[in-house]
Amino acid sequence: MIEGLEALYMREVKRIYRSIYMWIMIISQPVMWLVFFGSSLSGLPKEVLISFFHTTNYIAFILPGELSVSMLFVGMFSSMSLIQDKRFGYMKRIFITPVPKYYVFLAKVFGGITRGLLQVPILIGTAVVMGVPLNINLISILTILLSLTFLGMGFSSLYAMFTIRTSDWQAPGVIANLLNLPLMFSSTALFPRAFFPSWLSDISDVNPITYSAELGREVLLSGDPNWSYLGYLAIFGLIMLILGSYLTNKYMQAE
Amino acid sequence: MSIVLAKDLTKKYGDFVAVDHISFEIEKGEIYGLLGPNGAGKTTTIKMLTGLTPITEGDAIIAGISVKKKPREVKKRIGWISSEVILDDELTAWENLEIQAKLLGVKDWQERADQLLEYFGIKEFKNRKAGKFSTGMRKKLEVSMALLHSPEIIFMDEPTIGLDVNTRASLWNLIRQINKDYQVTILLTTHYMEEADMLCNRISIINRGKIIAQGTPEELKEKYGGDVIEIELKEIRDGVLSDLESVGKLIKSENKKIAIKVGNAEEVLLKVIGIVGQNNIKSLKINKSSLDTVFLNLTGGSLEENEEFDARRFYAMLRRARR
Repeated sequence: MIEGLEALYMREVKRIYRSIYMWIMIISQPVMWLVFFGSSLSGLPKEVLISFFHTTNYIAFILPGELSVSMLFVGMFSSMSLIQDKRFGYMKRIFITPVPKYYVFLAKVFGGITRGLLQVPILIGTAVVMGVPLNINLISILTILLSLTFLGMGFSSLYAMFTIRTSDWQAPGVIANLLNLPLMFSSTALFPRAFFPSWLSDISDVNPITYSAELGREVLLSGDPNWSYLGYLAIFGLIMLILGSYLTNKYMQAE
Repeated sequence: MSIVLAKDLTKKYGDFVAVDHISFEIEKGEIYGLLGPNGAGKTTTIKMLTGLTPITEGDAIIAGISVKKKPREVKKRIGWISSEVILDDELTAWENLEIQAKLLGVKDWQERADQLLEYFGIKEFKNRKAGKFSTGMRKKLEVSMALLHSPEIIFMDEPTIGLDVNTRASLWNLIRQINKDYQVTILLTTHYMEEADMLCNRISIINRGKIIAQGTPEELKEKYGGDVIEIELKEIRDGVLSDLESVGKLIKSENKKIAIKVGNAEEVLLKVIGIVGQNNIKSLKINKSSLDTVFLNLTGGSLEENEEFDARRFYAMLRRARR
């Protein structure tokens, strides 16, 4: 039956790489973040940048943050894809076959992760072209990919869980508004913890995006990673994946 | 040998009983019809039989296996065709078949898929995206997918709804053809009398969640048939209804609309006109004995009158029309 999961995952992948709009989104969204948002603090004195961001280039600071935030946004596409399958009846086609229901959930989550990981070479390539010095080697790239996989697993699962019992097109947008902005701004993806009031700092300490962004900075900039961050992300991703699989099997409706 | 044995099949949504203790048996190789208006419980019955929705009460044994106890085992043995063609339009015909084969756990599916595409005359288009197919080709691809794992029975939920007359006629031929050539049993739901009459060996007529008659089309016409005269009057005078009952069985009388079941409409027509008064008639219609009149006799209303607006089907038809 595992070939059923493979078939559903490959369907997600084919739908991604065959859509020109998906490619426009995959390429333009992170590049715009780096180019426009990344350049917004370029006028700050170097002393300020070093003091708060521990780098002279703000783009270097937000690159790992943006890599992490992009995994947050792909979660939204997992839930949109789920709703599309319900609305167009494809979920019924799957549910009338003997594959377990949670295969649908796993395919959406791993499809979302794949989509997010496609942004890694685009973002890192853009940063290199913009003259950002990065510590690029096999270990740093594998660490980035693994940490983003766990982060994507967690957020894609979270989004998909919210859409298990609905087929309303509006749901992913509403969930995105309720989740994305608070999660993004309560992490150290864009700004250092030193900027935060204590309550926001407390949230940041448990926010998985913080762990992914900090780990990314450590491997890409300082070269001295705290591996426990990877463990935290793994626990977050796996718990969400198991919970989502369980809820899908129990509550997912075909329409 | 029966391939489907439904016993007291019931589906409740809260207090609403969508399907109410229905029982029927389908023999191997039959084309069996569930005939009834929209909202009668046909689709819900198919959903229960295919394991799409849990059965509230009763059970169904399909190919010797209980749907309630072993739904996944049942799913390996059944095919399904929806009322709206459901394919992944972004994938090619071949990729749609591949996914179906893998979801069903079919090994070495390629040869069978090639044969099916050839049988339906769409092999040369196998690498074309399903979204580029015509409605007829999409139906053929969907039937190929349903036959890919050599199922013992195919469930077809309103297979011809929304199709034009020509496509519907060719799909009827196709259904007969696969029933004969692939020796597959077919359970189809429909609200088209002529479809049930032309295709089905046996029929269950379902209305408001209950089966109200079962048999071959000929048996049903013989038992519940007879011509029906429908008259709309300007006014119903005293004694008219009792006078009409001397001519035939009064099966409907509401809002100045009357329906009378008679043996042969032509023989009694003049007498009926005499009773109601020629100048009192707004409209008059004779329905010769058919499954339509069977339904009229059994329920007092025609299928069309029983149909309620079904938004899901309406939008499915709109989507199909836009392609």
